[in-house]
Amino acid sequence: MNEIWNIAIDRAVNNNVPRVRSILESYPYINDARKKLRQGKTEVIKDISKYVELTIESVKRNGGNAYFARDAKEVREIVDKIVGDNQRIVMGKSMVAYECGVRDHLIERGKDVWETDLGEFLIQLSNEPPSHIIAPAIHMTKEQASKVVRKVNPDSKAESHEEIAVEARKFLREKFINAQVGITGANAIAADTGSVLLIENEGNIRMTTILPEKHIAIAGVEKILPTLEHAFLEVMVQSAYAGLYPPTYVNLTSGPSSTGDIEMKRVSPAHGPKEFNLILVDNGRIEVSKDPTIWESLLCIRCGRCHFHCPVYRVLGSTWGDPPFTGPMGAMWSYVSYKDATPSTYCVHSGGCREVCPMDINIPKVLEKLKSLSQK
Amino acid sequence: MLYIVSLMDKSLKEALMKVMMSDFTPFPLDKSICTGWATNEPRGGRTILYTGCMYQVAPLSAIFDRFIPILSKNRLFYASLLNLAKKFHPDKAALDRSYKILRSISSLLKKNGINFGYMYEGEPYSGAFLLELGMLSDFERYATLVREKFKQQGVKRIITTDPHSHNALSRYSEFITFDIDVVNYMELLREVGIGKKGDFVIHDSCLYSRFLNKREVYRELLKKAGVSFKEDYMVTSKENSLCCGGPLSPIDERVSKRIGEYRANQLKKVSEKVIVQCPFCYVNLSPYVEAYDIAEVIDSE
Repeated sequence: MNEIWNIAIDRAVNNNVPRVRSILESYPYINDARKKLRQGKTEVIKDISKYVELTIESVKRNGGNAYFARDAKEVREIVDKIVGDNQRIVMGKSMVAYECGVRDHLIERGKDVWETDLGEFLIQLSNEPPSHIIAPAIHMTKEQASKVVRKVNPDSKAESHEEIAVEARKFLREKFINAQVGITGANAIAADTGSVLLIENEGNIRMTTILPEKHIAIAGVEKILPTLEHAFLEVMVQSAYAGLYPPTYVNLTSGPSSTGDIEMKRVSPAHGPKEFNLILVDNGRIEVSKDPTIWESLLCIRCGRCHFHCPVYRVLGSTWGDPPFTGPMGAMWSYVSYKDATPSTYCVHSGGCREVCPMDINIPKVLEKLKSLSQK
Repeated sequence: MLYIVSLMDKSLKEALMKVMMSDFTPFPLDKSICTGWATNEPRGGRTILYTGCMYQVAPLSAIFDRFIPILSKNRLFYASLLNLAKKFHPDKAALDRSYKILRSISSLLKKNGINFGYMYEGEPYSGAFLLELGMLSDFERYATLVREKFKQQGVKRIITTDPHSHNALSRYSEFITFDIDVVNYMELLREVGIGKKGDFVIHDSCLYSRFLNKREVYRELLKKAGVSFKEDYMVTSKENSLCCGGPLSPIDERVSKRIGEYRANQLKKVSEKVIVQCPFCYVNLSPYVEAYDIAEVIDSE
């Protein structure tokens, strides 16, 4: 395991770190964007309840349904009600859905559920937890991935990165077309317009949000931003710091599909989903927002950059933290969502995470506080 | 995964704190180990050269770290086991090396016209590891006692020699009122000696580089001494250089060593000869690379 991990992480770091550097040099406006984004996120975190209400009102105004779930159990109950008797479900990599155990719960209820993000698809097939917040199969080398895809096509000869991606594409096309429910996360939610923004490169999220009759977006309350302008900044900053700028796709969803083509009267549905549902998840976030030090963990936009600059993650990988939360951000979020402070005890206060965090989160300071809580 | 820190339970922490608060050492320790480097240093004074016993104790740290799990399993015998620890001594060659480094630092400061004294056996440990293990209320409690020690001796200025002590003392004012000036020896050097020959790579102390803003201070000293060192964005830049694993040693020695080896392998891609500025970085990296303390490199005579 260690040897494979060492190969996989070194390849990922050498591919990603120089690319992020080059993106930040080429697009200097990202630096201004991240500062404005931090201000917007701070405003919401300091008054989450108000922004949850505003968001719910805005989603309803667009003809969508919006829910607030206090914990993982409530999330699963709401999902059950929305899914109903529908059987065929596609998912577009939501770490909050993972946090709340949504996929396993639906499978237990006999549903046909498929993760459609390639990394998440690979770990579903291999029955492993995600090892990185945006690259869940980062622990797998291409040699391992080529073995894993044989689970859906025993005759597969796929070996290269490209061939493995094609194998997943062939299998999942039919799943998209026949899906009745699509479940995604959200990178950002605009409180003023009720819009959900999702960035991606594969096209799987676009299909998950468009093809099924019902779309469910599950997101932590900290993903709310005051305005749609902030939400667009979030997708720019997140994709740049993830080393994937410009992102291939940015998906904006404001309610169910609609048309105003007949006499300019806006009616719903049109070609896309008939139903849009947003589930805003607390699961420990609101309590943390009140702590004078740990609140900063809620600023995290989940770009996954801190992982690559952390010596502990580089050596331990997914075994450090409670999945899907690994690495420095994971040591913070293991506490936010699961109230587990022990991962913080492995922080060596190297400080690389703070250097590279686009939100300027003082991660070592948060982890120092969590270490002190772990002593009690 | 198994988080080994849980082994160090509350009663053991209390026992260790009791020793620290009475002896002012990081661990039950023969104090002559700390003071052995100083022969002709003036005693006390307003400005002191502060070792925190860090260079001296670093070669012993691995033994102490292995001792903690043994202590944890023998709660009834804490007192006698802690006394036993006072008999531990570092390897002579390693201790001589650390003494030589401290003498070199003292000599460099004197050459630069800096006058100072040394507190000898009265020098209190900074409490750095309490801070690093997140024992924040214990750190505050201990810092109050250390402040009194300094006050009693009339100390107004502390010249630190290592990053862990410098960081801990610099952070006292976050916890208590502390008005003693803390400065690092490297910041006071205008002139250095003759630099060591060879092509080096710098392994930055995380604390100096990313928390205490000293990264350029020692780079300038190396340039002044004519030391040749190579930079590599993926290995030595502020955002990419990694920890030696040392701070994890009391928590999980196995992972600490894995990080040390991982870091050493990165450094070796740039150069086999590595410059460190911290005695614990030296301990964690020297099994894998040819490591030198910065004081050994900027004053090689």
